[in-house]
Amino acid sequence: MQILKKTELKAFEKAKKLGPLNVIKILKEKGLVGRGGAAFPAGIKWEFALNAKADEKFVICNADEGEPGTFKDKFIIKNNPETLIEGILIAAYTIKAKQAFVYLRGEYEYLAGNLKKAISKVLKKAKCNVKIDIIVGAGAYICGEETATIESIEGFRGQPYVKPPFPPAEGLFGKPTIINNVETLANVPQAVLFDDWDKDLRLYSLSGNITKPGVYELTVGYKLSELVKLAKPKNNVKAIYFGCSGGCMPYSDIELTLENVCGKNCAIGAFSIIIVDEKQSIVNIAELISKFYEHESCGKCTPCREGTKRIHDLIKKIKSGKANREDMNTLIDLAENIHKTSLCGLGQTSTTHLLTALRYFKDEFEEKLR
Amino acid sequence: MSKITGLLLPILRKEQKKKGYISESALKKISKKTKIPISRVYGVATFYSMLHTKKQGKNIIYVCDSISCHINGSENIVNYLEVRLKTNKRFSLHKTSCIGCCDEAPAMLLNGKAYTKLTREKIDGILKKCKY
Repeated sequence: MQILKKTELKAFEKAKKLGPLNVIKILKEKGLVGRGGAAFPAGIKWEFALNAKADEKFVICNADEGEPGTFKDKFIIKNNPETLIEGILIAAYTIKAKQAFVYLRGEYEYLAGNLKKAISKVLKKAKCNVKIDIIVGAGAYICGEETATIESIEGFRGQPYVKPPFPPAEGLFGKPTIINNVETLANVPQAVLFDDWDKDLRLYSLSGNITKPGVYELTVGYKLSELVKLAKPKNNVKAIYFGCSGGCMPYSDIELTLENVCGKNCAIGAFSIIIVDEKQSIVNIAELISKFYEHESCGKCTPCREGTKRIHDLIKKIKSGKANREDMNTLIDLAENIHKTSLCGLGQTSTTHLLTALRYFKDEFEEKLR
Repeated sequence: MSKITGLLLPILRKEQKKKGYISESALKKISKKTKIPISRVYGVATFYSMLHTKKQGKNIIYVCDSISCHINGSENIVNYLEVRLKTNKRFSLHKTSCIGCCDEAPAMLLNGKAYTKLTREKIDGILKKCKY
């Protein structure tokens, strides 16, 4: 696997020889984009932070991998922490930061010990005066949203705020900050060091009703039918969920590119693929996911705080067979409005699963109506 | 100097770990020590699912209730744990959002450690080995 290649601080040494501007140039030319789901070009983000004037800057490694069905960052932290840390060091060197944080989700606390050891080892070997501290979260999906991460580290409730200012201009403690996901940062040393680094290799997290779940490194645009073959499903596959936020589509053979998945009104995000078989009820899954969003809504903006609760209530009503057509219309209306009016990505994507389920599996909902 | 000293979240986590929950007196103490208003300390402590302001059992269990675990039978696991631990005050049982063990579903966290591919038999063994 490309992601497991060791760089042994050679990329860090090379970066120091190249200088910040050339590091950014390499990242841009090689096309490294964020692997947390939003696919923002890393080089551009770093350039903003480099150009921002301040006496202090920060790097945050976002290890708050909370999207259901996603576990590839855990895989990297377990299997190649040294390269991840080297990526953090290159980021710190490039924007001239002296302090970095790894925001590790509370559910992964058991990884903190080994990660800390790896940090000490790499810092000692690199002989640089950057500090890397691990901040362990405490169970909040929203804290993966970059402004919520910042709030959480600063000691506030992990609630997002309206951008701008964007973190590279004004982030942690009001200082320019780059926040990159684990997979992004682990790719940095490899992009810097290796000529044959392939930007299109991604870590797919495969789970669901399958016998071969796990992390697979495959190219962007991998055929879904081939992927399902690798996953060895237990029964006939009915639907594919792209995490919870990415929505669902009926199983069909497409190439998994951002555009193709978008064409199905879904989002491939962090390449989390949950394979759901014919024995599962889409209405049950919709109820489950809407419960998840009701619980994880941070409570800051009204459409998401109130809307996720109403959506959950309405789906429960449909599930119990007490809902009528008017309830269905209210549900669709609400789902569209929450998507359009929520403050952050959590609210905006909280109804994608429902809107896509209603588009592709409407019969299952209608069967339950009074 | 490290920025980490004095940050509220690590302080709250430490108290949670030490006592199993963050009591009212602990909230007051933390507020006084950090000079952060108690309203904010309480606000942060109640924001996160893994921080508790009510007394918990010595063993805290979070069973994953997200999609991959759910479609692999997490409901049975929850039901079984509920029956097993119903009157046992040494355990607190919570359902939780995805814990990132979707490839080894169904899964749970017990005192911060992940236990995966759960079955009733496996749970019996895990509970038997619990220290408290």
